[in-house]
Amino acid sequence: MAGVVLETLGNKKLSILIISLLLILTVFFLVGGLVAPAPNSVIPTTAINCYDEDKLWQIGESKPFLPRGKYACKSLHDLHHDKAIKDKKLDANQIVFSQQIPFVKNNTALHMSRWFQNLIGVIDLDIEFKQENPYPEEKTPEMLVEARLYARFKEETDKDWRLIASSKEQRTLECTIEKDKREDGQAYNCELIPFFELGSVFYDYYLINVRLPVSERNDYNKIGSLSDLHSIFIIQNGGFTKVWFSMKTVLFPMVVAALCWFWNRVASQGRPTNLTERTLFALGIVLSIMNCPVEWFTLFFNLPFMMLLNDIRDGAFYAMLLSFWIIFVGEHMLDQTERNRLSAYWRHLAVVLLACTALFIFEMCERGRQLVNPFYSIWSSEIGSVAAFTFIIVASIAACVYFLFLCYLVFKVFRNIGSKRTSLLHMSSFRRKYYSGLIFRFKFLMIVTLLCAALTVIFFILGQVSEGQWKWGDEDINIEYTSAFLTGVYGMWNVYVMALLALYAPSHKQFASEADTDTISQEEEVQLTQQSISTSEKSAANISLVYAYFQNFQAWAKGGKRNMAGQVN
Amino acid sequence: MNSIGRGANMAIGECQWQFRFRRWNCSTVADSSVFGPVITIASREAAFTHAISAAGVVHAVSRSCREGELHSCHCSRAQRPRDLNQEWNWGGCGDNIEYGYRFAKAFVDVREQEKNHPRHSPQLARMLMNKHNNEGGRKAVYNYAKVACKCHGVSGSCALKTCWQQLPNFREIGDRLRDRYDGATEIRFNRRGTRLVRKNRRYNKPTKEDLIYMDPSPDYCVANATTGSMGTRGRLCVRNSRGMEGCDLMCCGRGYNTYKQKIVERCHCKFHWCCYVECKTCERIVDVYTCK
Repeated sequence: MAGVVLETLGNKKLSILIISLLLILTVFFLVGGLVAPAPNSVIPTTAINCYDEDKLWQIGESKPFLPRGKYACKSLHDLHHDKAIKDKKLDANQIVFSQQIPFVKNNTALHMSRWFQNLIGVIDLDIEFKQENPYPEEKTPEMLVEARLYARFKEETDKDWRLIASSKEQRTLECTIEKDKREDGQAYNCELIPFFELGSVFYDYYLINVRLPVSERNDYNKIGSLSDLHSIFIIQNGGFTKVWFSMKTVLFPMVVAALCWFWNRVASQGRPTNLTERTLFALGIVLSIMNCPVEWFTLFFNLPFMMLLNDIRDGAFYAMLLSFWIIFVGEHMLDQTERNRLSAYWRHLAVVLLACTALFIFEMCERGRQLVNPFYSIWSSEIGSVAAFTFIIVASIAACVYFLFLCYLVFKVFRNIGSKRTSLLHMSSFRRKYYSGLIFRFKFLMIVTLLCAALTVIFFILGQVSEGQWKWGDEDINIEYTSAFLTGVYGMWNVYVMALLALYAPSHKQFASEADTDTISQEEEVQLTQQSISTSEKSAANISLVYAYFQNFQAWAKGGKRNMAGQVN
Repeated sequence: MNSIGRGANMAIGECQWQFRFRRWNCSTVADSSVFGPVITIASREAAFTHAISAAGVVHAVSRSCREGELHSCHCSRAQRPRDLNQEWNWGGCGDNIEYGYRFAKAFVDVREQEKNHPRHSPQLARMLMNKHNNEGGRKAVYNYAKVACKCHGVSGSCALKTCWQQLPNFREIGDRLRDRYDGATEIRFNRRGTRLVRKNRRYNKPTKEDLIYMDPSPDYCVANATTGSMGTRGRLCVRNSRGMEGCDLMCCGRGYNTYKQKIVERCHCKFHWCCYVECKTCERIVDVYTCK
């Protein structure tokens, strides 16, 4: 078996490589933290309470109700005490909540931008405590939301609003109130209601119209006394999108180049490729697919499926990464079994496949359906939420099984390393070289992988703890933590795959030495012997902290083995 | 401006709700002073009316921003960005509660800054007191905005989470300010006559959110033209209550009249979440107690 670049690389070159990769990684974090704004921003709005005097909506006419402007609707300022209610005997079926985004700010008319990529709507209801008309606390009331979403370009006028989605949706409303606050006028704490998700922001203005119909015949919308309906819109910030697109555009050719170089190297070996190489190649291809900046098209075309596509591409990459780890660890098992075929790993890969399929189905049910109906939410119906929970639980169980598998395999490798270590000195130099190479490759990957995974988890937890944004020091230096996390982690896995492609490509040097088995060049002999004893540790000392953990792990594994032996006896 | 008027109305309504069972019931008069001459006394009640009015303006302006009615609402931390649309495309728009706060600060305090009063003058003291209480009212809205968050990462996970501020309910603000009214601090001039300090050193120093007052409240039991007190004659009271709304306290020991009154009220109503309520009318005879 041929050696890889990693083994033949001197300590100096290796550390230079590692340091430069770390530098690239830092750049990714800094770009996210200093250049990019927060990934998302919010347009919190309070809806205008239009009233539909001629009951147009109820007779099925689809006329937009505008909150302001020349064709503004007639509106109520207060849903309970406005004079018009009594004069015109307005009932709840005639109220249309309306809001148009974006607003005029600082006397400048803003408009949406295609850079925003996606638009999420949430509804927040202000339910007031009223003795005579209480919110039904003993059961969570069902709501029926009739919603219409209109949009137009800025060149068009208020007469050109086009209906882009309309639907009747069921939602549940959960509200609570503290015991000592049960007096008229106090507000319930209500959970937010998911409203819609648009996968593209193609138009310049958006308008929502919402109706909460009531009827004697059903129990919908018996929600007590509503004082205001707030619709909250979440957009992806244009600045963040720009940084993100640029990152992808830069990374894509880099990874493709690394991939080509890698495959060239493999092909030039003049032997059949092995499984590790093929898997690594596949990982590179999936990463390139994820990197491929097709999102640029969203600036010119209306592509609402882009959000779904991105989720699928991300998912495919992580699935491939998980599969790669299993195969890599299996191929470095250091036992006599010849694997080198995919079928040897079918159990492990089936678990990954199961998790991914479950998540994929869930994703298709939620975001896939939203392509047709942006108001759809799998969580709103009872069957839907049970199904969604099932998919997520299946996926999490599969993920747990996967990690058990992986830990078991890693444990087995360490056990084999432990037993090989003693017998290593008595082996022929060729076998010794082969095994020490395997051990070094394995340990290196383990360290780098653990480092990346740990960083991802740590940053994720830090982000969750800090809730939103972190700000350091003066007002001039703002570090957008969430953006830094997103760009940093994205960059990190790219750098990781690139490093693997570079370091785990077959080595020319090794190839030469193998061609001439009897007369191994003196220099390489020295280098490799050293390596079998201590080089692996030396280079790894660069990342000494993680290595210390490994020593512990090894000690633990050894101890475990001894204990097991004891039990057997 | 519309929203300021609405804010003022909201403040009056809330004040009357909070004090509906007290001797001073926040009654308004039909002239520009709104709360009548009683407010010229630098009492707790004056402190409360200033605070609740300022809170009303913050609340109403922030709300107008959220409705998109007010076109002057700010967008970002920078006061006047060069190209607003560009900035909005890059990093979105800032929040409105801060704008409401700043607007109210400029609008409400402007009355207090017109003149340069000499040291130790009661006008200076009153100005300082009003400014402090206005700030207390604004903070009662601004500092208690709740945060709501939405998770919208891959498959709705919390890998991505976006948060925003919710305007607090105005009843809550009223409750908070009434608590501050009950715990208001009495103050006097410092020795140089430039700043206000607490009168009794045993009490805690008032914070920015606390209310302060200088003079004791007038007697609200009997009508008095000089103080502007309306008196409690004719006010409704509750017979067997020991609280402020009880006839003993409300009528200041003058006793009360008992009537039988026929009231016509709505009953068997069909409520929906809003709007016109169809009711039947019922008649009921109740005992009514009013102060002598």
